[in-house]
Amino acid sequence: MAKAEPKKVETVQVKEAEAVASQFPNIYFDFDKYNIREDAKPTLKSAADWLIKNNDANMILEGHCDERGTNEYNLALGEKRAKSASDYLVSSGVAKNRLDIISYGEEKPFCKEQSEDCWQKNRRVQFIPAKAGK
Amino acid sequence: MKENFRVKSFPSRTGSPEAKKLKVFISAFFMALIIFNFSLSTCYAKIYIDITSPAIKKLPIAIQEFSGTEGKQIADIIRDDLEFTGFLLCIDRAAYIESSAEVFNPKNWAVIGAEAVIKGTVRGEQNLTAVVSLYDISEGREVLRKEYKGARASIRHLSHSIASDIYQHITGEKGIFKTKVAFIAEDEGKKGLYMMDWDGTGIKRLGIQGNFVLRPHWSQDGSKIVYSSERGGQWGIYLLDFTKMSEKKVFASRGLNIAGNFSPDGDELVFSSSQDETYGIYNIKLSDSKLTRITSARWIEISPAVSPDGKLVAFVSDRGGTPQIYIMNSNGHDVRRVTFEGLYNTSPSWSPDGKKIVFVGRFSGKHQIFIISPEGSELIQLTDKGNNEDPSFSPDGRFIIFSSDRNGGNSIYIMRANGESQKKITPPWLRTFGPRWSPN
Repeated sequence: MAKAEPKKVETVQVKEAEAVASQFPNIYFDFDKYNIREDAKPTLKSAADWLIKNNDANMILEGHCDERGTNEYNLALGEKRAKSASDYLVSSGVAKNRLDIISYGEEKPFCKEQSEDCWQKNRRVQFIPAKAGK
Repeated sequence: MKENFRVKSFPSRTGSPEAKKLKVFISAFFMALIIFNFSLSTCYAKIYIDITSPAIKKLPIAIQEFSGTEGKQIADIIRDDLEFTGFLLCIDRAAYIESSAEVFNPKNWAVIGAEAVIKGTVRGEQNLTAVVSLYDISEGREVLRKEYKGARASIRHLSHSIASDIYQHITGEKGIFKTKVAFIAEDEGKKGLYMMDWDGTGIKRLGIQGNFVLRPHWSQDGSKIVYSSERGGQWGIYLLDFTKMSEKKVFASRGLNIAGNFSPDGDELVFSSSQDETYGIYNIKLSDSKLTRITSARWIEISPAVSPDGKLVAFVSDRGGTPQIYIMNSNGHDVRRVTFEGLYNTSPSWSPDGKKIVFVGRFSGKHQIFIISPEGSELIQLTDKGNNEDPSFSPDGRFIIFSSDRNGGNSIYIMRANGESQKKITPPWLRTFGPRWSPN
């Protein structure tokens, strides 16, 4: 049993890293905008602190839009949102090479109803943790 | 936006693996075009209606039910094709005095107001031979006679070929009846590339991988399409060559890579990329993958479209704070803004003569189709119902194809280039987007 322990510990550590990372809620954006809102800053700060503490973790920032836009422009807008979040983390001391961004534009909506409440939920950046070296 | 789609009866969903499906489809695509026809009488250049004139008087035409196999169906397809153009007025068959079996007599047609008459006979069972005549009533004689041969299974293509020749004889222009449309459809939540005839029939899925695919662009010879797709967390640009029946990766990298269109000679491609974290419009030479950067920006620059003569590039930029359409020389010099009305103008596409740009503008919170000259004048709104996206011109410049959610779901529509005759062409059970008309 003693021999198996380090392996077990390592496994737990990975799981923990993922569990902690998933605690970062999505951050939201205004219609047609990609600047970081005040209400997103606490989340970004805690994400930056967590990344600084957890050197073995990287982060993918996924940018998304609501459906009210043309597909190609929404992809660019989603990417700009992810880039804004990435820039914020870098300015908070996270090494740039630990962050990756991807946009899905309006292709992966979180919510499918046509209401402002739903559209706001879709105008988001999601934090997807990844193990370092991946 | 929330519908259940009946896809079970969809022909391309049964049977063989993707790659094989693609091959089978492409063979069918080219087979269908092998319809023999030859002219039995020489035609001369008399233009019955000048469709370039701003005020067109529709030409009244009679299209008699053909005698023989599938005669009614063939005549009906020809009638629907010609009527859709908006340049011809098809006189109701109930008014016809002369029967299909009777010999042509111009007097029978002059009294009902017809200026031209189409008559035809069809022979054969599985392989059809149609002999079609076009008569000029004022001259009282046959002005065109042609024989067409084709498989019964390809009856629509046979009929489109007839309509195409008649249209060309009457207007002096080639017409669009034999063209195809490449588009995106959502099938069980997954977006894929599809093809169909211009009138919405013969829908086939192309066996392309990838979770997300964006609207395709045709090469000017119609032998290739290029599109963007997300695969393995990267947006890449892919090219499908119909002659080789193969797909090839043109460019992929970190960041966003989105295909624009081909250069007139088909050897180059414009696209937008954020590969180095700044936006840029690039040109890639397909023969040697040589990359040329045209623009570099901290703001968004996307959706480049090369003009038909290859000299200009239209694109979308938010450099002024909102997305607007700009044009520049193909080397990136002399950038000028085209759109000034409204706060959101995207998705530019050129008319075949390079004199107009069709695009999507946001008006009262909805997306509408507009056209404008490259100088920024003559702005005209063409749609006013629902949201409308992805506009592009037909190869003859007379029509515009686009997608719309005006009837719930999302469907593909065609209209005349002045906004008249807006017509849904895709079925309600398939969510469709991003149509592109084939060049031939």
